Amino acid sequence: MAVTEALAVGQELPVLEKEPSQRRIDVYSGVRPRSIHTDEDWARQKGFRTTLAQGMMSTAYVSEMMTRQLGAGFVKGGTISMAFIKPVYAGDRLTVHGVVKELRPEAGQTRIVVDVWCQNQHGEKTAVGTASGLRA
Amino acid sequence: MAEFPKLTYEALTVGETFLSDDHLVTPEDIEAYAFAVEDHHPWFFGPSPFGGPVAHPTLMANQALHMRHGKYIVHAGLHAKMEFAFLQPIEPGMRVRSRGRVIDKYVRRGRQYMVTEYVTEDLDGTPLVRGRFTQMLIPEGTRHGGH
Repeated sequence: MAVTEALAVGQELPVLEKEPSQRRIDVYSGVRPRSIHTDEDWARQKGFRTTLAQGMMSTAYVSEMMTRQLGAGFVKGGTISMAFIKPVYAGDRLTVHGVVKELRPEAGQTRIVVDVWCQNQHGEKTAVGTASGLRA
Repeated sequence: MAEFPKLTYEALTVGETFLSDDHLVTPEDIEAYAFAVEDHHPWFFGPSPFGGPVAHPTLMANQALHMRHGKYIVHAGLHAKMEFAFLQPIEPGMRVRSRGRVIDKYVRRGRQYMVTEYVTEDLDGTPLVRGRFTQMLIPEGTRHGGH
């Protein structure tokens, strides 16, 4: 997959849409009793309305967005830093967003730093942070 | 026989270390992960700029996150923050492990947190991914209750 598009500060990356179904959460987390991710009764006992997707699924979504944009310069040389600020529940529908924040020279290449966030179907941000990768 | 004490804020020591089991990365791991996160990029299944297939950069994050389960019984927790630096591609056929160290624990707004630094490496010790994660501990007999 060729990555040739130039990037500029303020540019929005193509938005991804994700649906972390219970089936996908089960595969990601592994089905276990007494898990807030895969045991609905346990999740309720712990104060949640139903099971939650692991926060790290959102970092995987950001990884996809960055790999599609930066290719090999993300797979080798990329970074992600995210805070999980609101639960993502099984069945939520997320959109994954990125806006280029900074272009910084690094060892003969350019490090592209992107503000990233995930948002649920209610318009609430569920995870926020930055990601970066290198481009020659 | 190893003992697995319950993970509590009090039992946790800053500086203590964790080590995962070794894991052989298989095409099936990558396929399952692709399904879970809805990402079927062609580099995960065929040629890539690195030669053959590579794994999703975040593939082994759960190996790191679960290191503490090799030492403690973990009642419940929430992941609060995650940082990754992807140093080398993870490829199918590699055997990898994660090593971690607790670098901080703190209480904020009545909630208990632990911070772990880790590296995922191949069995030659080549670092593949470095990271740091912050996890909230939900003590036994309590509810998170915030949502």
